[in-house]
Amino acid sequence: MRFKRAALVAILLSVAVVGGSPSELAGTPAEKKKIKIVAERFSFTPSTIKVAQGTLLELELSSDDTFHGFRLPKANINVTIPARRRDSIKVLFDARKPGKYPFECSRPCGAGHTMMRGVIIVE
Amino acid sequence: MCGRHQAIPWILSCFLLASQVQPLRAEEHGEEDRLKRLEERLARLESNLERLIDVLVSKSEGESSPEARSQLRSLSQDVQTIRAEVKIEATETQEQVAVAALEPPAVDPQPDSPADEIINVPYSGYMEMHINHDQINPTTLDFHRFVLLFGHGFGERIRFWSELELEHAFVEGGKASGELELEQAYLDFLIDPKFNFRAGMVLTPIGIINERHEPPAFHGVERPFVDTVIIPSTWFGAGAGLVGDLGNGLHYKTYVMGSLDSSFFSAEEGFRDGRQKGFLENGRNLAWTSRLEYRPRSGLNLGTSFWTGETGFSFRDLNGRLKMFEFDGRYRVGRFEGRGQFVTTHLGDAAEINQAIRRQVGINPNIAREMRGFYLEGASSLVPSTFPHDLVGFYRYESFDTQYRMPQGFFPLEQFDRAAHVLGLTYFPHPDIALKVDYNVMGNASDLIKSLNRWNFGIGWWF
Repeated sequence: MRFKRAALVAILLSVAVVGGSPSELAGTPAEKKKIKIVAERFSFTPSTIKVAQGTLLELELSSDDTFHGFRLPKANINVTIPARRRDSIKVLFDARKPGKYPFECSRPCGAGHTMMRGVIIVE
Repeated sequence: MCGRHQAIPWILSCFLLASQVQPLRAEEHGEEDRLKRLEERLARLESNLERLIDVLVSKSEGESSPEARSQLRSLSQDVQTIRAEVKIEATETQEQVAVAALEPPAVDPQPDSPADEIINVPYSGYMEMHINHDQINPTTLDFHRFVLLFGHGFGERIRFWSELELEHAFVEGGKASGELELEQAYLDFLIDPKFNFRAGMVLTPIGIINERHEPPAFHGVERPFVDTVIIPSTWFGAGAGLVGDLGNGLHYKTYVMGSLDSSFFSAEEGFRDGRQKGFLENGRNLAWTSRLEYRPRSGLNLGTSFWTGETGFSFRDLNGRLKMFEFDGRYRVGRFEGRGQFVTTHLGDAAEINQAIRRQVGINPNIAREMRGFYLEGASSLVPSTFPHDLVGFYRYESFDTQYRMPQGFFPLEQFDRAAHVLGLTYFPHPDIALKVDYNVMGNASDLIKSLNRWNFGIGWWF
């Protein structure tokens, strides 16, 4: 139920921000792709994710050690990834426009925190 | 082109939404009530967003105005903020409940932040306290490390990170006491995922522990002997270099940094006292160090590093090039984890350095031409994965020899050809808190000098 509600908001927000028309709303649904990302001091695995334009990307974020952050600044996403043994969190990313979308750990996690980064490439 | 007829519904809708996007306050109600109210507020926001979008779609004849986009972005940020708070509350109050809240998707790439935008990175830190007991010496209680880390972002492209450490809790000039060390203080210039520039005080990127030494990140009260005696962690110095992610799980670092000073090398402690630690480092010789890590899949990490630099700058006409090569691996699958590391070193002009130090201080330091060490560690969680806490048992075997190969005319001191069996437990009441106990069975190759076994107890935490 929560998923459906969030997905509805997601689609609505998408249309709102890009100024889409009702016909676009009624267009073919985006291809959905699920990717699991594991955070660990001081890397994301995988750290490079390539998707085709128009993909609705569902990222399942989990940690192999401490709490981490997942910040995708170009999309105003910033969430906390629960520590190991504390399940995961999901993030939706609507890959509508080609480009590189860097993400990074936003919760200090140790000596190498600043280079704990990755990128979503929309082709 | 927003005409007046378009602006009115806009303003009304924005007002409607803004009236509900209030800062969340710490309230006195129970957690469940608070969660429920937050979710209700979120539902109202979603409903209002839907209405707003209907208005926009019906009114707009072309693309919405920049102002409209800006306001929508702001509103969507507010929604995410509230959603994140709901999620955090759920995480804190329902540790066993899957927190699978879906975030709103990102849809429109935002431009990079302006160069002068400030991104505040919160502080963090770690601390550890130890109790060490061996067969002869008095038991010691030592607040070993108190470390604070601070960061700052000068926009999205330039980041600062630092690590300030107080060792052994007390520092007094002119007396034997603890140490206050600036272990990291650098700027990262983020250019491309594959190519970024770093400059300042940096950690030498060698081995497992030197860059991953937060107490909950390793088993055992004390760091492995190999990472103390052969690799002198924490090993840091002034330097600059490149770091990056090459893709396909490959990550690298390569720095030019201050070298070690061989006039402080020793037979027992190896290169440890040769670290210049960024204190008026002698720049006559610079070292080059690099590390390559490969993570083909989650849980598996393979790494290799090297360090090379001339260390004889305190002596006339002596180069004393030290070469260090290392490789390591870590693997975690289910409740099991293992790690291992091997390191070997070669010091040029070792005989001449020994003679030069003997001329200066009157004692032969007996520094080896080659030092070598390795360890293997296995660990397993001892409780079901559904248990909220974790208890891990581990065993580590270490071999480390600071007299492995001697220069011609020098003979090894066999008590420094050492081995250790470390058996212990780590209890995690929280993922970032570790209570540790271990027993070390120590041995060496000497028939005359006996190594001391010891008990260690420790508590360490990270935040």
